[in-house]
Amino acid sequence: MRKVTVNGLLARKLRLALTALAIVLGVTFVTGTLVLTDTLNRTFDNLVGTAYQHISFEVRGKAVFGSNTVSGTAGRRPIPASIATAVRGVPGVAYVDPQVQGYAQFVARDGDAIGSAASALGFSFDPNRQLSAVRLVQGSPPTTGQDVLMDKGTATKYHFTIGERVRVVSGRSPQMFTITGIVTFGSADNLAGATLAGFALPTAQDLFNTRGQYDTLNVLAKPGADNISLQRAIAKLLPPDVQVVSGQTAANELTSAISNALSFLSTALLVFALISLFVGAFTIFNTFSITVGQRTRELALLRVVGASRRQIFRSVLAEAALLGLAASLIGLGLGVLAALGLKALLGAFGITLPSAPLVFEARTVVLALAVGVGVTVVSAIGPARRAVRIAPVAALVDHHEEEPESVRRRATAGSVVAVGGIVALVAGLAAPAIALVGIGAVAMFIGAGMLAPIVARPMSSVLGRPLAAILGTPGRLGRENSMRSPRRTAQTAAALMVGMALVSALGVLGASLSASAKSNLDSAVTADYLITGPNSGFSTSVAPAVARIPGVAVVTNVYKGQFELGGTLSGIDGVTPAHLSQTVHLALTAGRGAPALAAGELLIDTTTASAKHLSVGSVAPVTFAQTGASKITIGGIFKTNPLIGSYVVGAPFFISHFHNPLPIAVLVSAQPGASHVGSAINNYLNVYPNVGVKSRAQFEQSQQHTLNQELGLVYVLLALAIVVALIGIVNTLMLSVFERTHELGLLRAVGMRRGQVRAMIRSEAVIIALFGAVIGVIIGTALGVAFAASLKSQGITEIAIPFASLIGFLILSAVLGLAAASWPARRAAKLDVLAAIAAD
Amino acid sequence: MIEDDEMSQTEQGPASPAAHGVELTKTYGTGDAVVRALDGVTVEFERGRFTAVMGPSGSGKSTLMHCMAGLDVPTSGRTFVGDHEIGLLDDSELTDMRRDQIGFVFQSFNLVPTLTAAENITLPADLAGVEVDQAWFDYLVQALGIADRLSHRPTEMSGGQQQRVACARALIRRPELIFADEPTGNLDSSSSAELLEFLRSSVTEHGQSIVMVTHDPRGAAYADRVVFLADGKVVGELLSPTAASVLAQMMKLGS
Repeated sequence: MRKVTVNGLLARKLRLALTALAIVLGVTFVTGTLVLTDTLNRTFDNLVGTAYQHISFEVRGKAVFGSNTVSGTAGRRPIPASIATAVRGVPGVAYVDPQVQGYAQFVARDGDAIGSAASALGFSFDPNRQLSAVRLVQGSPPTTGQDVLMDKGTATKYHFTIGERVRVVSGRSPQMFTITGIVTFGSADNLAGATLAGFALPTAQDLFNTRGQYDTLNVLAKPGADNISLQRAIAKLLPPDVQVVSGQTAANELTSAISNALSFLSTALLVFALISLFVGAFTIFNTFSITVGQRTRELALLRVVGASRRQIFRSVLAEAALLGLAASLIGLGLGVLAALGLKALLGAFGITLPSAPLVFEARTVVLALAVGVGVTVVSAIGPARRAVRIAPVAALVDHHEEEPESVRRRATAGSVVAVGGIVALVAGLAAPAIALVGIGAVAMFIGAGMLAPIVARPMSSVLGRPLAAILGTPGRLGRENSMRSPRRTAQTAAALMVGMALVSALGVLGASLSASAKSNLDSAVTADYLITGPNSGFSTSVAPAVARIPGVAVVTNVYKGQFELGGTLSGIDGVTPAHLSQTVHLALTAGRGAPALAAGELLIDTTTASAKHLSVGSVAPVTFAQTGASKITIGGIFKTNPLIGSYVVGAPFFISHFHNPLPIAVLVSAQPGASHVGSAINNYLNVYPNVGVKSRAQFEQSQQHTLNQELGLVYVLLALAIVVALIGIVNTLMLSVFERTHELGLLRAVGMRRGQVRAMIRSEAVIIALFGAVIGVIIGTALGVAFAASLKSQGITEIAIPFASLIGFLILSAVLGLAAASWPARRAAKLDVLAAIAAD
Repeated sequence: MIEDDEMSQTEQGPASPAAHGVELTKTYGTGDAVVRALDGVTVEFERGRFTAVMGPSGSGKSTLMHCMAGLDVPTSGRTFVGDHEIGLLDDSELTDMRRDQIGFVFQSFNLVPTLTAAENITLPADLAGVEVDQAWFDYLVQALGIADRLSHRPTEMSGGQQQRVACARALIRRPELIFADEPTGNLDSSSSAELLEFLRSSVTEHGQSIVMVTHDPRGAAYADRVVFLADGKVVGELLSPTAASVLAQMMKLGS
C-alpha cells in the first residue's frame, strides 16, 4: 500500500501542489511569527544583560502598586540623595552610581522632533563609567548644565558633530545644549531604536524634576565580597519605602516585562496564522473530497483486489500526512524569510529593531510541523471516511454516480454545530473568554460550511441568472455547472466564506469604532482646540503661554496617571477646574462638577459608581505612589465617557499627589468671534516640536487616520486568509476542468469557441465566489455587531454597519473569483479537442 | 445547408462533394517509431449520400474522420468541407464551421450532462446565438421518438434515447455533413437498427449527407457506398452494399 500511496501522490503532483500551497502559506506565517518573536526576545535579553552586567545591586523605591511595565518606574518614588552617601559607606561596596532618567527628545535642524516620544531616553551619565553599558566613543563627558551626549545613531543619521548645538525637548521648556560626546549602548548605535541623551547628574535632576533625589542607585560590590551579606547590610540602611535587589533580579524583572509584551505580539500574529490555516483546512478538505471522488474506480479496484477498508483509510491519510509534511518543510524555510519581512513591516509602523541573527529554535520546527501536518491530516479525515465506503463493484461499472446525500441528516448536524458555535461565541463574548470565542467561531464556521450546500443550488441559480442573461449560452452552462453539484460549490466557496466573514466583521468593528470615537469626542470635549504631545507628557509652560495668546478664552490642562482605589489599580485624570465646562463636558448625574474638583474631591463615572457602590459623599480609601495611602470624598458622578476615563480630580490635587506631573493634553476654548487663534497657537508651538495643536475637526480626522492605519494592518493580515481561499477556488476549478475533459471536448467539437469556454469557466468562478462572499458577509456582519456590542464597556458606544464597504467586499469577491478563474479557464480553452473527446 | 425541394432525386448527387480530402497523410512519432495513420488518402464524400468508412483497428478510419471534420490536422494534404479548405482556417473559424456546417454523433457520452434533451439539441444554435427552425425541431423530435424526453437530463435516459437526442442535435441545423463515429457501438441490436433507419431516412427523404465510421457490416449495409481502409490507405470501395457483400469484401481484404 505504501507504493500505491506514494505513486498516487506523484501522479497528481500538479493538483496537489496547489493544495499544498495553502498549508505552505499558513506554516510560513506560523514559523515567521515564532522566529521573529524568539529573535526579538533574544535581542532584548542580550540588551538587558549588557545593561546589567556590571551591576551587583539596584537600590530603588518600593513599587507602591505592582505594575511591571517596561518603563520600570511605574509606581516607584524617587529616593533621597542622602541614601547614596549612606550606601557608599557600607564596607564591601566598591562604587555607587546614582541614576536619574526621563523623557528627553532631540530636535533636528529642520525643527521636527527626532524619533518617537516613546523611545527618547534621557539619563544621567556617570563620568566614572564603571557600571553603565553606555560607552563614550567620542568626545568628553558632559560637565556643565549646557552639555549633552548624543547616541551614535542619531548623530550619524542627522549629521550632528561634537561642538554643535542641539535643541532638546523634555518636561521642561525646550533648551539648547552643546554636544560634548557621542555614545553607544554596548556595541549598538542606540538602545533598540531608542535615542539616548546623556546629561551631567545635576542637569538630569533638573530636567526630570528630581532635585536632591535619584531614581535608582546602581551598586558595584568589591571583588571577593559576599554578596548576600552585603545586600543585607545595605538593606538595613534603607528607609521602609526603599529596597535593594540584586542586579540579576532587576534584570529579570525587565526581561519578563519585555517578554510579556512580546508574547502579546506573538499571540496576535499567531491568531492570524491560525486563521489562514483554518481557511486552508477547508481547501484541503475540498481537494481531498474531489480527488477521492475522481479516484473512485481506482480505489474500488484496490478493494476488489483485496485491500481492506482500514488500509484504504490509512492510505488516504498517509497521503495527507506526506503532503502536509512536504508543505510544512517548505513553509519552515519560507517562514525564516518571512520573519525578515515581518521585521520590516513592524519597522514601517514605527517599531524599529536592532539587526541581529535570527533565532531558530527546535520548538519552532516541532510546532510548525505539528500544525502543518495536523491540519492537513484532520482535514482529510472526512474524505478518507468517504473513500472507505466505496463499494468494490464501482470498479466494474462504467458510469459512477455521486452518492446521494441525506439532506435531512446534513441539515440537523449542521444546525447543531452552528447553533452550538453561536452559543459558545456569545457566551465567550459575555464572559469574556477569548478561547471560548475562538472555539465558538470555529464551530460556527464549520456548521455554516455544513449547511451551505443546502442553499447552494437556489443561490447559484439566482446569482447566475444575470450572467446567463449577459453571456448567453456560456453563462448558462457556467450557471448550470455551479448548480450541478451543490456540495462541491459550497465546499469550494466555504473558504472564501470564512475569509469574507472575518473581513466584514472587521469592517463593522472598524466602522463602529470610528462612529464611537467621533461621538465620544463630541460628547466629551467642547474645546475648540486640542494640544497634544508625547504620552509621557510635555512642558507645563505650554498652557500659561497659550493662555496669553489673544483670542484664547479658556485653557485646561489634562493630566493622566495611575492610582489605587479600594485595592484596584486604575487610571485617573486631572483637569484644571476653572471654566471647565467651556472645554470639557461632564454630564453630571449627581453632585457637583468643577466646584467638587476645586475642593479636592473625586468625580467618578456611573459605571464605577454602581460597580463599587459609591455615591456622592462616600469616602473611599486611595493610594498614590508619591503620597501613599489616604482617603478621598466623592464629589460628583458623571455619565460614562471612554475619552474621559472613570476617575477625575482637579489639577492642583493631581500635581500634589504625583511626582513630576506633566500634562498630556491642553484643551483650548476660543473667545466667540476670535479668529486665527489656531494659527497663533501653531506658531507658538514651533518652539515645541513634540507638541501639536489641532482643531476639534482635525483631531477627529487624525483619530480616524490612526484608526484606519491600525485597521489597515489587520486587513493586511487577513489578506493572507483570502489568498488561501482563492487558491482553493483555483484548485477546485482546475480539478473540475480536468474532470470534465470529455465534456469540454464535446462542447468544442460541437462548436463552442475558446472564448466561450473561458467565459463559461469564469462565470462558474464568479458564482462560486459570490456565493461564498454573500454568506460570509452576512455572517461577518452579525459577528461584527456581536463583537462591537460586547465591547460597549471598552468604548464602542455606537454600532455602525458600513454598507458601502460591505457591497465593495462583494464586488471585490466577484473580481477575485474572476482572477482565480483565469488559469483554469485558459487550461480549459486550450484543451486539445481530439484528445478530450477520446478521454474517458 | 440543403433545401428540401432540391433533393427529390436520390439517384444522382449534385456535382460538388459534401467533403473531400486530397493526398492526406498523418504520421506520429519520429525515426524508427514512426506511425503512419494515414498514408496518402484521397477520398470524396458525396452530397446527399450515406457513406460508410470501414477497416480493421489501426486502419486509420477514425483518423481520417477526425481530419475531415477539422478536429485534427493532417501532416500533409488538403481537406475540404463543401468548398472551404479547412487547412486554411484558424481555430475560431474551424470552431464556427463545426458549429454551423458539421454535425457529430459519437459512440458514447454525446450529451452535456447539465442540459436537458431539448437544450442539448439546440446547443449549436444557442452557441451561435440564432433561433432554431421550430418546425424542423418538432419533426426531428417526433421522428426520433424522444418528444416525451425533452425536459429530461441525460442521466435520466437510456443509451438509445441519448444517441437519438445526439442525432437530433446533429441534424438540427441541417449541416453540410454529419460525421458519425461508431454511433451504434454501445447500443443493443433493436436500438441500433432504429438509429440506422433514422439516419438512412434523413439521407433519403431530406438529402442529408452522412459519413459513418463503423466496423459492423450490418451497419455498413445502410450506406450507399462503403470505403475500405487498411494501413492508412484506401484499399477498396463498394457501392450499394449488403451485409453479405461487405463481409465478403472485408474477408478478401483481410487475406
